[in-house]
Amino acid sequence: MEAVLTRHLDAHAPLSLQAYQAAGGYHSLDAAFDHKPEEIIAIVEAANLRGRGGAGFSCGLKWRLRGADAPRPRYLVCNIDESEPGTFKDRHLLYGGPHQIIEAVIVSAYALQAEQVVIFVRGEYGKGGHGLKRAIEEAEKAGLVGSNIKGSGFNLQIKVHLSGGRYICGEETAMLNAIEGRRPNPRHKIPRPSVKGLWQHPTTINNVETLVNVPHILLNGADWFRALGINGGCGPKLFCVSGMVQHPGLFELPCGTPARELIFEHAGGLAAGRTLQGFIPGGASTAFLLPEHLDVPMDFDPVAKAGSRLGTAAIIVLDDTTCPVQATLNLMRFFARESCGFCTPCRDGLPYLAQILTAIADGEGRAEDLILMEELCNTIGPQSFCAFAPGAVMPLTSSLQCFRDHYESHIATGRCPFDAANKSGA
Amino acid sequence: MGTMHIDGHEIPFQENDNILKAALAANIEIPYFCYHAALGSLGACRLCAVEIAPEDPNKKPRVVMSCLEPAKDGINVSVSAAAARQVRQTVIEFLMVNHPHDCPVCDEGGECRLQDMTVACGPPYRRYRGRKRTFTNQYLGPLVHHEMNRCITCYRCTRFYQDYALGDDLGAMRLRNEVYFGRFQEGPLTSPFAGNVIEVCPTGVFTDAVFRQHFARVWDLETAPSICPHCSVGCNTLPGARDGTLRRVCNRFHPEINRWFICDRGRYGHQYSEHPDRPLTAQVSGVKVSYREALAAAAEQIKAARDRTGGLGSTREDLESNAILQTLLNKLSGRFATFSDPQLETATTAAVAALQSSGGAPSLSEIEQADAALVVGDLTTHAPMMDLALRQAYRTGAKLAILHSGPSLLTRFAATTLTVAPHEIGAHLLHLNEQAATASTTSNKHENEKKLADIATYLTTAQRPILIGVSETMAAPEITALAQLANALGSRARLAYALPGANAYGTALLTPTNSTTAMLEAIESGQIQTLIVMGNDPLGDTRLGARWREARQCLSTFIVSDCVATATAEAADILLPVAAWTERGGTFVNYEGRAQGFAPVFQRAEPLPNTAEVLADLAHCLELALPDAAAVLSNIFPGYQAPLPGTLGSSLSAFPLTMQTETPIGSAPLGHPGHWQVTLASWYGDDVLASYAPALVELAPPAAALIHPTAALKERIEDKEQVRLRGPAGTVVLSVQLNNDVAADTIALARVTLAQLGVGHGDLLELERIS
Ligand SMILES: Cc1cc2nc3c(=O)[nH]c(=O)nc-3n(C[C@H](O)[C@H](O)[C@H](O)COP(=O)(O)O)c2cc1C
Ligand code: SF4
Ligand code: SF4
Ligand code: SF4
Ligand code: FES
Repeated sequence: MEAVLTRHLDAHAPLSLQAYQAAGGYHSLDAAFDHKPEEIIAIVEAANLRGRGGAGFSCGLKWRLRGADAPRPRYLVCNIDESEPGTFKDRHLLYGGPHQIIEAVIVSAYALQAEQVVIFVRGEYGKGGHGLKRAIEEAEKAGLVGSNIKGSGFNLQIKVHLSGGRYICGEETAMLNAIEGRRPNPRHKIPRPSVKGLWQHPTTINNVETLVNVPHILLNGADWFRALGINGGCGPKLFCVSGMVQHPGLFELPCGTPARELIFEHAGGLAAGRTLQGFIPGGASTAFLLPEHLDVPMDFDPVAKAGSRLGTAAIIVLDDTTCPVQATLNLMRFFARESCGFCTPCRDGLPYLAQILTAIADGEGRAEDLILMEELCNTIGPQSFCAFAPGAVMPLTSSLQCFRDHYESHIATGRCPFDAANKSGA
Repeated sequence: MGTMHIDGHEIPFQENDNILKAALAANIEIPYFCYHAALGSLGACRLCAVEIAPEDPNKKPRVVMSCLEPAKDGINVSVSAAAARQVRQTVIEFLMVNHPHDCPVCDEGGECRLQDMTVACGPPYRRYRGRKRTFTNQYLGPLVHHEMNRCITCYRCTRFYQDYALGDDLGAMRLRNEVYFGRFQEGPLTSPFAGNVIEVCPTGVFTDAVFRQHFARVWDLETAPSICPHCSVGCNTLPGARDGTLRRVCNRFHPEINRWFICDRGRYGHQYSEHPDRPLTAQVSGVKVSYREALAAAAEQIKAARDRTGGLGSTREDLESNAILQTLLNKLSGRFATFSDPQLETATTAAVAALQSSGGAPSLSEIEQADAALVVGDLTTHAPMMDLALRQAYRTGAKLAILHSGPSLLTRFAATTLTVAPHEIGAHLLHLNEQAATASTTSNKHENEKKLADIATYLTTAQRPILIGVSETMAAPEITALAQLANALGSRARLAYALPGANAYGTALLTPTNSTTAMLEAIESGQIQTLIVMGNDPLGDTRLGARWREARQCLSTFIVSDCVATATAEAADILLPVAAWTERGGTFVNYEGRAQGFAPVFQRAEPLPNTAEVLADLAHCLELALPDAAAVLSNIFPGYQAPLPGTLGSSLSAFPLTMQTETPIGSAPLGHPGHWQVTLASWYGDDVLASYAPALVELAPPAAALIHPTAALKERIEDKEQVRLRGPAGTVVLSVQLNNDVAADTIALARVTLAQLGVGHGDLLELERIS
C-alpha cells in the first residue's frame, strides 16, 4: 500500500505551509467547501472510518449523532494525548507534519460546523505542540484559519492545549475538564459530551489519526478508502510494533494486516533463536494474545473476537525470555500510578493488584492469590467510573489465562524462572 | 411521580430522582459515601451498588450505582442481591486498604460513616498484605483538625467547600491513591463555613479542633435540640455536653432554615460558655455572695426605688425573659427598654414593622431560589447562613447586587457592587425606587447611575427577587426605603432583614416606642435610681458606651444579669450570673418572625438559674405576683403556645409595630474637610457572645483603618501609615490599610475600635496624620 497518512511526514524538517501546499496539502478545503457539511458526514460514514483513539466507534456516525441542529457554540477536540504504553503513532503525525493535522481539523470542523477547535497535546510532546502552534500561526496568516476561510463564510479558531501530562487526560471527558482548567477526572457520561461538553456546549472528540483520514476520504471518496484495507478492514492504519523485535517502529499498512506480517516482516521478527510467547495487540490496556492469534487481521472486530481489542494498534511483543508476570506487573504499576483517583475500585484496587503481583514476582506469592486477583478484577473492571479501569485489568485477566503456568511456578518455587534463565544465559 | 420496586417494596419517586435518593426518602437504606443530599450524586465511591432486574428476561441483571441511575417506573431494584453485595463488600475492602486500623483513638469514632458501612457491608478480614499509604497532615487553623490518613476520597469536603460554599482554599490535589485534600499551604481555612467539612466528611479526616481540646466520645454526650444564639437567622443546632461542660455544637437539620449546615460562628461561638472569665458566682459590690443573698440585696434596692426602677432587656435574651422583665417593670410602674442605642431601636423596630407589613421574610430555602437579590450591607458578618443561601442562588444564576460602604465577602459573587458612603445609602435606595418604577435607561450616566440602572433591571426582570437589608448598619429611613422598593416590585419580591441578635425580632415586638432615649434621659435626670440590665451591654455600646458609663454614675443601684463578662457586668453593683443558652430552655424569634424553642442540653455541676427564673425569684422577693412565662406571653401574643424544641417553630400572632419616623433621608450631615464617615468593618465571628470564644477570636482580622486608595491619595496617606483617629469617647492610633472595597470619604473600622472612639456606623470622625 502506498503511504497515505505518513507520506509527507518528516520529524526533522516538517513541511512548511508552502511546501505542504505544493505537495497537494490543503486542497481538501476547496473540496469541503463545495460540499454541504452533512454531505461530508455522510461520506465519512460511508467510508466506515472507525475511531483510531482506541474504541473504534464510527467517526461519521458520531458526527451525525451530534445533530446538525446542536446549539452553538460547538467544539471539536482533537486528541493527541497519546499516553498509552507502546503507542507512538500520533507523535509521528504531530512531529512529522503539523499542517496535515490542521487541514484535517479544518475540514472536520467544517463538517461539524464547529467554530472552535482545541487540539489537546500530550505534555511530553511539548516541542511537537509548539511546532503545531507555529504551523497554526502560518495557516492563520495565509487565511486558512480564522474568519471567512477562503471566502466560504466558515469561521474557525484553533487552540492548542498542552497537557499537564497524565494518562487519564486522554479520556475524553477528563480531557474536557483539563481544558476547562479543572481536575482531569472523567465526567459522568449522561449527558454525553456531544450534548454538554466543553463549558457545557456540544463537543465532538476525535483522535488525531482518525481526523487526518478525513481530507483523504473527501478527496478520494469513500470507496477508495474502504478498498485500502484488507481482510475486511477499511483504510490505512498506523501500527506501532515494539518489545522483543528486531526493528521496532511505526508502519502504515492496510487496516486488517495480520499481526504475523507486522511482527515478522515489518518489524524484523524476533532475535535469533527466540520464540514468540505472546503479544499485546493494541497498547497496554488490551488483552494478551498468543502465537495462535498471529493470523488474526489487525482490525477492530477480528481482534475483539479473539478476546482482545485493536485499541491503538500498538503491538508489544514478548519473546521466550520475557517473564509474563514481570511484564504484567510492569503494566499494572503503570495503571496504578496513572489512576486519576476518582473512584474507589480503580484508585485502591489497582495498587492492591500491583502489590499481589509484586509479591508473586518476588517469590512471595500465595496459592490463593490468583483467585483473589481474579475476584478483584471482576469488580474493578465493570464497577469503576470510566473506561480506564476495564482497560487496566485487561492485561492481567488475560495474562492470568494465557500464562497461568508461569504464575503457578512463581508461587510454587518462590522465584522467577526467567530471572535465573536470563542470568545464567548472560 | 412514579413507583419502582426495591426488594419487593413499592417505592414512590419524584421526577429526576435517582434510585438512591428515592430509596432514602422512603427510609430504605442503601449504603453510600459520596452522595450527599445537599451536594448531590458523584459516582466516585461506588458503594451504592444495587442490582436492576432486566426488562427482557433473557438478559442478565445489571449492577449499577444507585446514585447515578434514574428511578424509572416499574423497575425492580435489589439492594440485597448477591452481586450488589459483592461489589459493596469489595469497595469496603479497597477503602480499608489504606485506612488506619486505629478506630479506638480516632475522634470520629461513634459517628463514623466508614465504621458503619464497614460493619454493614464489609469483609470481616483483611486480605491486603502490603504497606499502608501515609500522608502528612496540615495545620488548618484553630477550628478544623486534619488527619489525612483517614481519607476515603469521597470528594465531599471539596464539593462542599468549593462547589457549595464557594471557598477557594481547600481542594483536592495529586492523583491515584494519593489524592490529598487540603490547602495549597498550611494555614487557617478562610471560609466562614469551613467547620461544615467536619460534618460532611464521612470519616475522621476533618474533626472539630475545639471539641478535641476537651474531648468526649459522642455516645457519652448529652444532647438536646437547640437554637443558635449568635445571630437572627436561628439555625437549628445540636450541642453536646459531658460532665457539666459544653463540648461542641453541630448542625441540626431544619428543612427551611439551615438544613445541613451552620456557620463557624454558630459552631464555635459556644466557647463563651466555658470562658474562664464567665461570671458563675453572684456578687454584691464586687464581693462573691450566694445567689439568694444577691437576690435579696437586689430586692431591697428595688423595693426602695419602686417606680424609679428601670429594666433593660436585650435582643440576645430569649422571648420569655424579655416579656417577664417587661411585666415586672409594669408591676413596679417602672420603665422598660431593650436597646442600648436609640438608633438601633428605631432601625430594628422599623425592620420588624416592614417585615410584618410585607407578609413575612423568606426562609433560607426560599432565598436559595431567588433569581436576583439586592443586599444592603455586609450580610456575611451579620447573618452568615443567609449569605450561604444567597451563594446557592448565585450558583444557579441569580444576579446579586450589593449596596454597601465597606468590604463584604459577598461582593466576589456580585454582578454589581455599588460602594457609597453610609450617608448616601438612603439616597441611592430612593433612586433605585425611581429607577424600578420608571425602568428608564438613559445612556451617558454617571458610573453609579449605571450601576443603579443595572440593579433596577435585575430586580424588575426577575421572577423571584429578594431584598435583604442589614439592619444594624442601616438607619430607619433606609430600612423603610428598602421596604418601599420591595413593595414597588410587587408580590414577586420578598424582603428580609438581618437583625441584631438571635431574638431581635421577638424583643422588638416588646419594645416601647423611643424607650432607649427615654430610659437614658430618665437615668440622667435621676428619675431612675435602680437599673436592671438583662443580657445587655450598654456600657460597651459602640456609639453610646461613654454616655451610659456616665449615666451609670447617676444610679444608686446597678443590677446586671448575664452569662458573659461584659463591661456592663463588670460595673454591676449586683451581679446575677445566669445559665448560658445551652444550659436552659427558652424561645428565640428569628428574622422571619419564627418562634423556635430550645431545650436545656445539660446542667453544670453548680447549675445557674436562667434569666426568667431570676426575674421570677426577684418578683417573689418583692412579694409581687408574676404570672409564669407562658401566661405572660399568651397575654401579649393571642393564642401563644410555646414552640416545642425540635419542631419547625411557629409564627407569633403579634400586633403590627408602627414604624417610628426619624429624620428623613437626605438630611444627614455631610462630611466636611478632615472628617470621615465611619462604616463598620465586621467579620464572621463578630458577635457579643462569640467574642468570648478564643478559637474564633484567634481568626479576627487585626484592627486597622481601612481606606480606599483614592481617598488615601487625596489626603496623602500611605498604606501601613499610622494615623490618629479622634471620636467623642477617645483617640485611637491605628495603621492604615488600603482597601478597594471602602467607599470614598469613608473609613472602615472594627467594632472594638468603634467602641473605643464612641462612634457608630455612619458617624463622623476626625483623622490625623502622625508625622
Ligand atoms: C483511560 C483512557 C485514555 C485514553 N487516552 C486516549 C489518548 O491518549 N488518545 C486518544 O485519541 N484517545 C484516548 N482515549 C479514547 C478517548 O476517550 C476517545 O474515545 C477518543 O479520543 C475518541 O476518538 P476516536 O473516536 O476518533 O477514536 C482514551 C480513553 C481512555 C478510557
Ligand atoms: S476508573 Fe480510574 S481513571 Fe477512571 S474515574 Fe475511576 S479512578 Fe479515575
Ligand atoms: S477528607 Fe473526608 S470528605 Fe474529603 S474526600 Fe476525604 S473522606 Fe471525603
Ligand atoms: S447563621 Fe447565625 S444562627 Fe446560623 S449558625 Fe451562623 S450565627 Fe448561628
Ligand atoms: S454514593 Fe453512589 S457512587 Fe458514591
